[in-house]
Amino acid sequence: MKTRIKLLVLSLAMALFFGAGNAWAEIRIGLMCPLTGSWASEGQDMRDIVQLLAEEVNAAGGINGQQVRILVEDDGGDPRTAVSAANRLATRNVAAVIGTYGSSITEATQNIYDDYGIIQIANGATSIRLTQKGLKYFFRTSPRDDEQGRVAAETIAAMGYNKVAILHDSTSYARGLADETRGLLEQDNKEIVFFDALTPGERDYSTILSRLRNAGPEVVFFTGYFPEAGLLLRQKNEMNWDVPFIGGDATNNPDLVAIAGRAAAEGFYFLSPPVPQDLATPQAQNFLAAYNSKHGSNPGSIWAVLAGDGFLVLAEAMKATGSLDKDELAAYMHNELNIEGLTGNIAFDQHGDRVGELYRLYRVDGEGNFVMQD
Amino acid sequence: MEFFFEQLINGLAVGGIYALIALGYTMVYGVMRLINFAHGDLFTIGSYLGLTILTAYTVTAFLNPFFGILILIMMVMALVGIVGVILERVAYRPVRQADRLSAVVSALGASIFFSNMVMLIWGPRFRVYPDDILPRITLNILGLDVPLLRILVLVTSIVLMGILYFFVQKTRTGTAIRAVAIDHGAARLMGINVNRIISLVFLIGPALGGAAGVMVGLYYGQVNFTMGWSYGLKAFIAAVLGGIGNIPGAMLGGLLLGVIEAMGAAFISTAWKDGIAFMVLILILIFRPTGILGERVADKV
Repeated sequence: MKTRIKLLVLSLAMALFFGAGNAWAEIRIGLMCPLTGSWASEGQDMRDIVQLLAEEVNAAGGINGQQVRILVEDDGGDPRTAVSAANRLATRNVAAVIGTYGSSITEATQNIYDDYGIIQIANGATSIRLTQKGLKYFFRTSPRDDEQGRVAAETIAAMGYNKVAILHDSTSYARGLADETRGLLEQDNKEIVFFDALTPGERDYSTILSRLRNAGPEVVFFTGYFPEAGLLLRQKNEMNWDVPFIGGDATNNPDLVAIAGRAAAEGFYFLSPPVPQDLATPQAQNFLAAYNSKHGSNPGSIWAVLAGDGFLVLAEAMKATGSLDKDELAAYMHNELNIEGLTGNIAFDQHGDRVGELYRLYRVDGEGNFVMQD
Repeated sequence: MEFFFEQLINGLAVGGIYALIALGYTMVYGVMRLINFAHGDLFTIGSYLGLTILTAYTVTAFLNPFFGILILIMMVMALVGIVGVILERVAYRPVRQADRLSAVVSALGASIFFSNMVMLIWGPRFRVYPDDILPRITLNILGLDVPLLRILVLVTSIVLMGILYFFVQKTRTGTAIRAVAIDHGAARLMGINVNRIISLVFLIGPALGGAAGVMVGLYYGQVNFTMGWSYGLKAFIAAVLGGIGNIPGAMLGGLLLGVIEAMGAAFISTAWKDGIAFMVLILILIFRPTGILGERVADKV
């Protein structure tokens, strides 16, 4: 009996020794993303992209001579699942964490990483308040809602429209963007002829379209997600109503065209950070070539590409500081980091938000392609 | 005024779909005193089966598209009907003698099972019906723009409901269904095979739900695995509104709920659409628990 216990203790000690040894022989980076649930397709893209970039770095000799290992945890697109995913990652010796999609899901995990002193780079969380909390180790490669609202208001003004209808779907993201844009447009003396929500997940939006038409707007700004946007375009086309529609960045998904049909989708405008296909930089083009040769297609979602940007930021910061120390890394990222990423130039301000103009205007052409406007 | 009539047509078209699904709830309730919570998911299965048959066998490629769609709807009705019969055998028959709670729990379990099954087979993403099967013509009737498909959806619903009504009221089997609805034991004593009648009800109800699923797919294009929940809930409200267990009641309740929703969304706020539907349910339960046509107990099915 005693020998058994001794053996057990010995083997445990050895496991701990070698386990800890392994932990420091490589750089561990966590990735928290929705691999199941409603946003599963986004999360699977994130995993593919981050792992592709990590393989490239490893093939080139790693970071500071150490190999990188990506630890993936599924957050299910749900705040509660995300909390346990964050706890698992935080206790597994990760140097930093990338993720995740959705502001409420990210918010549920922010304090966990902050308590453990782990750098977090969100890639799909756009809510303003996430970076206003004064968390020292929180960054994001995704843009902020107020920036999108500003660009939306500027775009509508530049197109010369004066009577604007705004439609949201009552989610905190869409409502926030709608409020933001309405405020800016009203300051600019534009007339808001319609402001209301639809119920997401329905199939029939003809009633709301009739009401919109009755309000007589020159342009409709829809701040919700692509499934509803696709149906709105399709049903608007059936009503023979040809008012222009502008969407927010949550409509940037190729499925939009499939749902609306090409004829109805043509002429739809939306705002989004640029996808790598539209950037001529070598970073974007090399990444696209590598992704294409591995997966046979372009990445579907901009939010997944922003996870890749999170990885590039971490790799650069670790190389430049030659350290894994969270304070050194955070200080470097706040003050000095300035790299060319997959979605353009990346630098952070003291809150951890990206600096500079990110949003571009896209238009859907007759073939169903998303064409970036100048 | 034009705006009003536009909303009326919108409401009737959605209501026709609600009515078709509500028929499944009401028939099952009439015969078994059971709310079949899995009914909304049978509707989803209908949508996906329609999409699969449409894309795999291109029934419409060598036939007149309208005739092809007719065949498609009939195929899906048959398949979903079979799923319904199996559902009854597996989930409801074993607990038929137990208390009512067991059957309700079994129904909820079946609903979760079906929606996850759809997700595993067809994936979690939105799927889209090809949009070039039927010509998308918009008619101009008395100054109103009405898509032709919208009229077809409404007409198909009404024709299916009419066939069902005559089947139940005028045929021998229909009489047997009504007899079973009134009293299982007495019907058995009159030589009616009660199990067969219940299987038949579980063939017809889900088949109508499946037809509604195909029509929603054809008209709105987009389907996903959670869509059965909201449609099922609305259809359930429609069935209660008309008087659950009553076939004309389900038809009336469905059409009425569609119109009430459209009017509420048009004249109050679109964000209140679901709220209005549930308010109708609460009001009807307070002031007329049997539903609008609920008093004719002898005709329950």
